[in-house]
Amino acid sequence: MKFRLPFSIQPVRILIFALLAPLAAAAYEVQGDDANGKALFNANCASCHKLDKKLVGPALGDVTQRRSEEWLIAWIKDNAALRATGDADANAVFKEYNGLVMAAFPQLSDQDIKDILKYTRTGGGPAAGTATGGGGGVVTAPVEESKDYSPMVLGGLTLVLALLIALLVKVKNTLKVIKGEPETNLLEDATFWTRTIVRSQRFIVLATVVVSVFLLKELYYGLMSVGVSQQYQPEQPIAFSHKVHAGVNKVDCNYCHSSARVSKHSGIPSTNVCMNCHMYIDGSEIKTESGELKYAGERSPEIAKIYAAVGWNPDEGKYTPNYEQKPVRWVRIHNLPDLAYFNHAQHVTAGQIECQTCHGPIEEMEEVYQYSPLTMGWCIDCHRQTEVKTESNGYYAELHDKLKAKHGDGPITVEAIGGLECGKCHY
Amino acid sequence: MAETKKYWKGLEELSDSPVVQVLRENEFASELPVDRFLADDKSMNSSATSRRDFLKFLGFSTAAAALAACEAPVVESIPYVVKPDNLVPGVPSYYASTYFDGVDFASILVKSREGRPIKIEPNAQALINGSTNARIQASVLSLYDTQRLKKPLVDGAEADWSALDRKVSDSIRSATASGKSVVLLSSTVNSPTYLAMLEEIRSTVANFRHVSYDALSVSGKLDACEKMTGMRALPVYSLADAQMIVGVDADFLNEANGQSLTADYGKGRKPSAEMLRHVQFESVMSLTGANADKRFRILPSQRAAVLSALYNAIARRAGQQGVKETALEAELAKSVAKTAEELWNHRGRSLVLAGGGDYTSEMLALGISRLLENFGSTLTFKYRNQLRTGDESALQGLVNDLKAGSVGVLILDRCNPVYDRPEMAEALSKAGLLVSLSEHLDESASMAGAVAPAHHFLEDWCDHQPVQGYFAMQQPVIRPLFDTRSTLESVDRWFGLGGKSALGRVKDHWLNGRFAGNVDRWNEFVHDGVFVAFDEIMALAEPSASTDPTLMDGLTFSSAGAQGLELAVYTKAGMGTGRLANNPWLQEFPDPITRTSWDNYLTISASDAKEIGLENTTQSNGALNGSRVRITTAQGKVLDMVPVLIQPGQAKGSVGLAVGYGRTKAGKVGDGVGVNAFALLTGAEAQQQFLSGVKIEPVEGEHEFACVQLHHTMMGRDIVREVSLGDFLNKPAKDGGLGWNERTEFETYAGPMNADKVNLWKDFDHTTGHFWNLSIDLNSCIGCGACVIACHAENNVPVVGKDEIRRSRDMHWLRIDRYFSSEMTEEVAEEQSLGAIEKFRLMEDPSENPQVVFQPVMCQHCNHAPCETVCPVAATSHSAEGLNHMAYNRCIGTRYCANNCPYKVRRFNWFLYHDNQEQFDINYAMNDDLGRMVLNPDVTVRSRGVMEKCSMCVQRTQYAKLEAKKAGRMLKDGDAVTACAQACDTGALVFGDANDAESKIAAAKKNDRMYYLLDEVGTQPSVFYQVKVRNNA
Repeated sequence: MKFRLPFSIQPVRILIFALLAPLAAAAYEVQGDDANGKALFNANCASCHKLDKKLVGPALGDVTQRRSEEWLIAWIKDNAALRATGDADANAVFKEYNGLVMAAFPQLSDQDIKDILKYTRTGGGPAAGTATGGGGGVVTAPVEESKDYSPMVLGGLTLVLALLIALLVKVKNTLKVIKGEPETNLLEDATFWTRTIVRSQRFIVLATVVVSVFLLKELYYGLMSVGVSQQYQPEQPIAFSHKVHAGVNKVDCNYCHSSARVSKHSGIPSTNVCMNCHMYIDGSEIKTESGELKYAGERSPEIAKIYAAVGWNPDEGKYTPNYEQKPVRWVRIHNLPDLAYFNHAQHVTAGQIECQTCHGPIEEMEEVYQYSPLTMGWCIDCHRQTEVKTESNGYYAELHDKLKAKHGDGPITVEAIGGLECGKCHY
Repeated sequence: MAETKKYWKGLEELSDSPVVQVLRENEFASELPVDRFLADDKSMNSSATSRRDFLKFLGFSTAAAALAACEAPVVESIPYVVKPDNLVPGVPSYYASTYFDGVDFASILVKSREGRPIKIEPNAQALINGSTNARIQASVLSLYDTQRLKKPLVDGAEADWSALDRKVSDSIRSATASGKSVVLLSSTVNSPTYLAMLEEIRSTVANFRHVSYDALSVSGKLDACEKMTGMRALPVYSLADAQMIVGVDADFLNEANGQSLTADYGKGRKPSAEMLRHVQFESVMSLTGANADKRFRILPSQRAAVLSALYNAIARRAGQQGVKETALEAELAKSVAKTAEELWNHRGRSLVLAGGGDYTSEMLALGISRLLENFGSTLTFKYRNQLRTGDESALQGLVNDLKAGSVGVLILDRCNPVYDRPEMAEALSKAGLLVSLSEHLDESASMAGAVAPAHHFLEDWCDHQPVQGYFAMQQPVIRPLFDTRSTLESVDRWFGLGGKSALGRVKDHWLNGRFAGNVDRWNEFVHDGVFVAFDEIMALAEPSASTDPTLMDGLTFSSAGAQGLELAVYTKAGMGTGRLANNPWLQEFPDPITRTSWDNYLTISASDAKEIGLENTTQSNGALNGSRVRITTAQGKVLDMVPVLIQPGQAKGSVGLAVGYGRTKAGKVGDGVGVNAFALLTGAEAQQQFLSGVKIEPVEGEHEFACVQLHHTMMGRDIVREVSLGDFLNKPAKDGGLGWNERTEFETYAGPMNADKVNLWKDFDHTTGHFWNLSIDLNSCIGCGACVIACHAENNVPVVGKDEIRRSRDMHWLRIDRYFSSEMTEEVAEEQSLGAIEKFRLMEDPSENPQVVFQPVMCQHCNHAPCETVCPVAATSHSAEGLNHMAYNRCIGTRYCANNCPYKVRRFNWFLYHDNQEQFDINYAMNDDLGRMVLNPDVTVRSRGVMEKCSMCVQRTQYAKLEAKKAGRMLKDGDAVTACAQACDTGALVFGDANDAESKIAAAKKNDRMYYLLDEVGTQPSVFYQVKVRNNA
């Protein structure tokens, strides 16, 4: 039977694991290559197993303590065959995991399996018990290079300017002395000239014109921005970070927004898509910049919201039966009016436009905001400039030559195939 | 030379009354109703709101609006928790299913978006009835009717299912115990699973029986068929090879007893030397009669007489004995003889169809077919037809039992006897327990002690066998919206059959039966929606027709010459038998013949109307009013306040009244629309579908019609072109101005030119990319209106209601103009050497028996569009693909475009038709949350104050192009098709890319018959028409 703790606090588990590990080592010494084992583990096992805790299958950190090497090799190569021989342990495990079938790995050699087992013992580090696991994204913001001028340079410049002014005042006063006029200091000069200018009618007219033009310009831009929600950054029900997912972990946009390739909607991923990864990654390993565990090894409260939505019980590693699922109510950021028809597939698949072209540096956004104005002028500008991806698309096989003949050697833009016509987007 | 017929749209226009002249000058028949509130001094003065108050409110509301505008509303985006695998938001899915409501049958594809069925489309894989008519197209809207039953009712109060089940099964048990019978009364049932279930019940419950009847009964026809072939089933018709079809009071294009003949008819009517000839004898101007090459008017009572005359004439040629014959007028007798001669010449490839449901007519029609050796070619009894199986004698037996009090439980399934057999209402109340399986709390259900709400057909599992060996699967496309239950499940629970689900029962039936456990075959059946048991069909043989010489003896002919008028009941293309009366799309659909919506009415000939003193008048606002009458039948039944519509083509001495109206418990849309014609019928008359000796007397008051007949006139110009088959075959279309399809030429400095060449504007280049064109074949168009409803559903066209239609504010993007013509032309007059006076008299007096042409008109997508040049805000503009675009949000509602449109196809949103429950409650597709689910999410719902019009389904062409781009292939012909062309099963509408040389549309454009509507205006439309060819043989 598997050793079970009455509570599931991670550090304690790791501690116990660490304490037990030397004892286990006494059982038998696995001969193998740690590095190869790690690579094989990550490639073949990691989707269902962790070293230090139960996922789909049992935790493997202590597996060599529990099972003999021969048994493990036989199990990993073809567990169904092992079960078929009537092996009691094999059938017990199978039953414990509700008949969940583990894939067979006939392609792994005995040595490969030994390497993996070695890795499960060492956890990739020199000593047993320091297992880190695979998933936790460690967030460290890159330090931006400062473009400011250093105070030293500025100070020097100020000094030079002050010297110049002093020099000029000296020259002026020398000249006044020569002319026989009384000397004036800098303040008196400034007051005199300011009064002269402010009292002049020309100045008043000019100033009025400048101020009115400025105000009108502001008014114009103010009115034009009505209904434009650029930079709109609402608070979302879950503090989901695109930076962590698309940036640090380089998850492909299409993995979650899969319908963007085929549908008009990019699609907010349904919660079961989140669970593909977050069934295993509960955020307890997230570290802060300083390298400390962000949630003190506890489950991330944000990821817990996903579990609450789908009814996943992470402690037991299964879905709660008959759970009333609660969809996540995301706040929509990009709101095109109903009168405009926009199709993601048209742009992503047919137009081969990068997501970032319209959505900005999404992989750097902690919290997503509306990057583009989404105004019609913005659409039109792009349609005027963007070349149609005619190559390697059979749709344009004949059309391309006709368009070339019509438009000469110039680029075939979206405009040339009717991308500025009203009824292409408004119907 | 094109025929120079005079076309007109109504009697008023023909006589060129001053009202019509004024209307013709006015594009918009009514003014803005400003005067209504400004000129009303009394209410203005008595109003408590002063000018100052008004300004204060104005200022405050402006400020409030400005403040409110500072914060944008927060829009939520809520994804699935677990997304179904086969569903991608934004991408439609299609499911094969089946429509059968006891009247119409069709194999369909249901287009579904995000789990919501939004459109019914034809299933091209179906061999029988893979096409949709107007009613089936509209049926999707009824799914979202909030007035459907939402909970089971016991004794009129809401209850839960267990209480209802307990009540019904207890009643069944006690009825069985006390020796009373348990009866299930339904409309025609052809589901193998359902019938097997009834068989199962019968084996356990001895006193159970199933009775079926059809709203418009064909029981007599079935009796005739049984006598002829020994099989109680209607023949299955096939027009594929027919060359001559004669309808005697048979409206077979609207409704051929459940079988759809329109596709084959459309094919047969393609002009060629082999073109199908169609002769019609009828009283009411029907959709079918309107399409006939030759139409003769007869009284309903002459139906059998005409058929017997035909029989005898053909029997003489065949050297066989004739039947008893009643005399016909000399003129008619001559026509019948000529028709008989034609039929004889086409024997083996001809068909005679009789209307009504009576024994005599069908016996004669079958007899004629037997003489003409048509059995096995144009009609067959090989495959048992199960589209109509109602049995009136069994129904009569049930009524007797009910009256005797020996029926313990009566279950009504998909039938409404209180409405369509009003005489039964009293008998029904004598049933121990009346149980209703109904979608609505209709006339019958509201009498029932237990009402079990049934699923809409799009929520339910069932299978169908329209004809033997041919099966259709009805699969649900949405989870039940309300607390309803499948009929299969309800009946199962009540009779204790093991509590199977509908799916379980249907699946078991197939897996345990024909598919022998092969789940793949079951899956294939569900996927395709149809399954043909070829092995079974191959084994079938044509039953030999009876050779009994006494077969034709003892036919009873209805007595002609009774006092008074004869009243024929008929079905309208939009309403059928009234099952979908609460469907606003169908109520607003203008009848193809009378162009009137939201009503039924007594159709009467002009001369009878004059005699009785009835009239139709056109009001100054363009609306039509009519007299009202009281109808008294020979049996003393009375129908009061029936509006009268004078119908050209109505046989003198007869009147017509459509069934399907006068519902009292259909729902807020259908209640109180029209009068119930079923209320007049009794016994044998219901079989014949006409009444003799009807008395009609005018009553006080005028009825207000919602008739679009006089609207959108085309100034009497050359808009419909027609040629006889002889000319079409033998004369050139273009022959230096003498051909039958010439283009208008203008003399210019550079010689004669067509109108499209004489212009100020630069031409668009349509050689690059697609050039969307639509061809409309006037020869194939039968005016059925499936396209109109398909357009409604596809393009979120609002329903505006009767009052607005009266004000000429109908919103249909696609209308089907109906033109009557006289048989008298300049040429005919010359041939017959008639004098000018006589000629003009005949030309002006065609109302007695006109020819009819249907012409669908939608935006013509002019390439030199008059609307585009007058729009001050460039809201309507041109596309390189030959379409005329309309940007609703840019439109400021000047209506200049509509004024400048020569085709009158632009529609103005006078009101906010959506989210305006107060005013447009009937437009429930846009005014409640449930109804809105039917809207097409790819098409904008237009707001008040903007123009709209046909977009040539630009969302569909765009979608097809994108699919091709995504797949990296060229666009194929047929990838993009408009909703109207898709719904058209006669093939009258053909849509495609004219730049694709291989396409059907490119071929249609080169056809000799092609012409542009109002070519002389030089608008260069993308829509073109094909000249109608009349087979005048």
